[in-house]
Amino acid sequence: MSDLKEAEHQNTSESSDQGEFLEENAPGESENPMLIASDSYENLNYEILDGTSTAQRQTPNTESNETSTGEESNNEEQTETANDVAKKKQEIVPVEEDHDDVNSEHWRSQSKHIFILSEAGKPIYSRHGSEDKLVTIMGVMQALVSFVGDAKDSLRCMIAGDHKFVFLVRDHLLLVGVSSGMDSTHQILLQLTYVYNQVISVLTQSTLCKIFKQRRNYDLRRMLSGAEKFFDNLINLMDSEPGLLLGAVRCLPLDGSVREIIAQSIVQHAKIKDLVFGLIITNNQLIALVRIKKYYLHPMDLHLIMNLVNASESFKTAESWTPLCLPKFDSSGFLQAHISYLDDSCNTCLLLLTVDRESFFTLSDCKSKIKERLLKYNALRAISDSLQKTAYGIQQCGINDLRHFLYKSKSTAQYTSPELEAPYVTQKEKDRLFGLYKYLHHRIHTSGRPLKILFHVGPYETLLGWVTQGFELYAVFGPLVTKTSAIHAVNKLLRWIKREEDRLFILNSVTF
Amino acid sequence: MKNDRNSVSNGTVVKSNSGMNGHHGYGHPMIQRQPSRQCSTEMYDLSCKVMLIGDSGVGKTCLLVRFKDGTFLSGSFISTVGIDFRNKVVEVDGAKVKLQIWDTAGQERFRSITRAYYRDANALLLLYDVTNKNSFDNIRAWLAEINEYAQEDVVIMLLGNKCDVAGERQLRREDGERLAKEYGVAFMETSAKTGMNVELAFMAVARDLKMKKTRKPNEPQFNVADYVDQEKSTSQCCSS
Repeated sequence: MSDLKEAEHQNTSESSDQGEFLEENAPGESENPMLIASDSYENLNYEILDGTSTAQRQTPNTESNETSTGEESNNEEQTETANDVAKKKQEIVPVEEDHDDVNSEHWRSQSKHIFILSEAGKPIYSRHGSEDKLVTIMGVMQALVSFVGDAKDSLRCMIAGDHKFVFLVRDHLLLVGVSSGMDSTHQILLQLTYVYNQVISVLTQSTLCKIFKQRRNYDLRRMLSGAEKFFDNLINLMDSEPGLLLGAVRCLPLDGSVREIIAQSIVQHAKIKDLVFGLIITNNQLIALVRIKKYYLHPMDLHLIMNLVNASESFKTAESWTPLCLPKFDSSGFLQAHISYLDDSCNTCLLLLTVDRESFFTLSDCKSKIKERLLKYNALRAISDSLQKTAYGIQQCGINDLRHFLYKSKSTAQYTSPELEAPYVTQKEKDRLFGLYKYLHHRIHTSGRPLKILFHVGPYETLLGWVTQGFELYAVFGPLVTKTSAIHAVNKLLRWIKREEDRLFILNSVTF
Repeated sequence: MKNDRNSVSNGTVVKSNSGMNGHHGYGHPMIQRQPSRQCSTEMYDLSCKVMLIGDSGVGKTCLLVRFKDGTFLSGSFISTVGIDFRNKVVEVDGAKVKLQIWDTAGQERFRSITRAYYRDANALLLLYDVTNKNSFDNIRAWLAEINEYAQEDVVIMLLGNKCDVAGERQLRREDGERLAKEYGVAFMETSAKTGMNVELAFMAVARDLKMKKTRKPNEPQFNVADYVDQEKSTSQCCSS
């Protein structure tokens, strides 16, 4: 984080030299979106808060100021408590036995930990180390939360040194995220929400609640066995895929006509009663989505679908039929998913989601017909070509000194970004770049003082973030760019995206 | 349990012969003289549903892949999510039998879901792992579940898988035999790794279903347990 503590110039109001741009007609905007529009991640957080106690809602921003490294900043009651318990925690950890995971250097040096435990303090999942060995530390977490909870308050975050501890309590589960990286507390909270949603996706919320209502000290690992890979994969995805941070999905670049053929293939051959969504995805990117008229897919749910496909090798070997809960769509029940790959190299995956548990063979039939039609129109070839070409490079935008960007169209909940190129080729540099985006995103969405435009000069690059009604843009320039030229470059970039929008975004929502 | 019921097969709804005479009237393998258009271009005379069940990690998918493709999935552990579906057409005495094989996930959370498909199954292959006592201990629970949800005349075959692993064996062949006898189901030990008895397990099921279909009223009933006992091979390492 230290390299970010450079001089910053911020502009909270739009000044004349960048005001000219098309706010009412943002590139990639659609009147007719297929995904639920996602505004900013703040909304998600308030939703989280709504789900819990009212005490939290009164103080929606307990996040401590980023500039004070380490020491808790504010004078709020709960942060003080957090301070106390943080000290307590530091005392407790060293007394544990030597052979315990917690004391190993390897475990301690991990930059992000995610824990899930039950309300009763039983370990359910830990990203690093075996949760069995972490019983003690999970007990401490549970104690911290219930200690603060006793005072009719709730523990939301603690900051100790360069570690942030974020807590989320939902439906008998306690989720804890610990990060020493660039993530803000809000961002960690969002990640915990994703992890919680993943639990729901596997079990449904009603099952989860029923289990713990019957037995408060149930060992949930029994029900989640085999699902660990979904958590691991999801958390790794959050460390590398900006879509989860932005609440947006990336589409595979394809010609509009090809996309139309693909969507129509689904419409024609899978128009079946009780089929809710038909979609084709590849490599964390969306190719086509067809939905029943009155239902929309939330980008968070789509990320869980992508995670399911990504994390499971078994779909590659046979047609699968699996229950799947989409928490934003309906957290109380399962949809039944027919999952199959359309190509031999297992890149292009078709999912047909239905409420009819008996329709496997019907859908299997649909799949064959869809595949036939896609082959006939060379659409599968177009997909694999696009995959091999690797989206697009930053040069194609033709803008000097622009190194990389993320552009999210809010109304369609989709984003686009070029491939990572030098200097962002090593894992370390990739992580650093993503860290910069997290920082920029955090600064812009700080709930106490949301910004429209942020110009930030760092030692290695200059960042420009710009948020309007229609879009969010995060751009990374070389270090010597001036504010004026950056703004000009960004305007030029927006025009480029506008020209390419048909290829980069799915603008038409196709329904059955 | 004898309610009228539709089973969906190959995209067309086929009424099962619930009103048929004889004790095998309900849940008969369906005769499909018409060649199926999809899934497989092969013609077949009858088709039936086989389900693989048992605890997670006992080797259900490996057994199936060995049978279907003749290969062994070694290396990393790929756990099935939900239910995987594969087809294979086999020949029994000149008749083509299409086996629609449902490979289920063994984890507890999938129980309630896979259970819903039991009643459509003509045969159930119930697996345990001879190197894992726990998976064997759970067999009784599985059988109770089968009893509750599956058709009465479902063919059940108990398979002790991974019998090639000599050193870590926790269950003797006799343990499996005794349990199978108690419940009156067919039993053998298999190895997806070496292929031992794998073909036989599926072929015995196909044969049983074919026999049920074609048996004349005065002919003796085909007994899958006896047939298996007769045909199965027992590797040396298995007898302890």
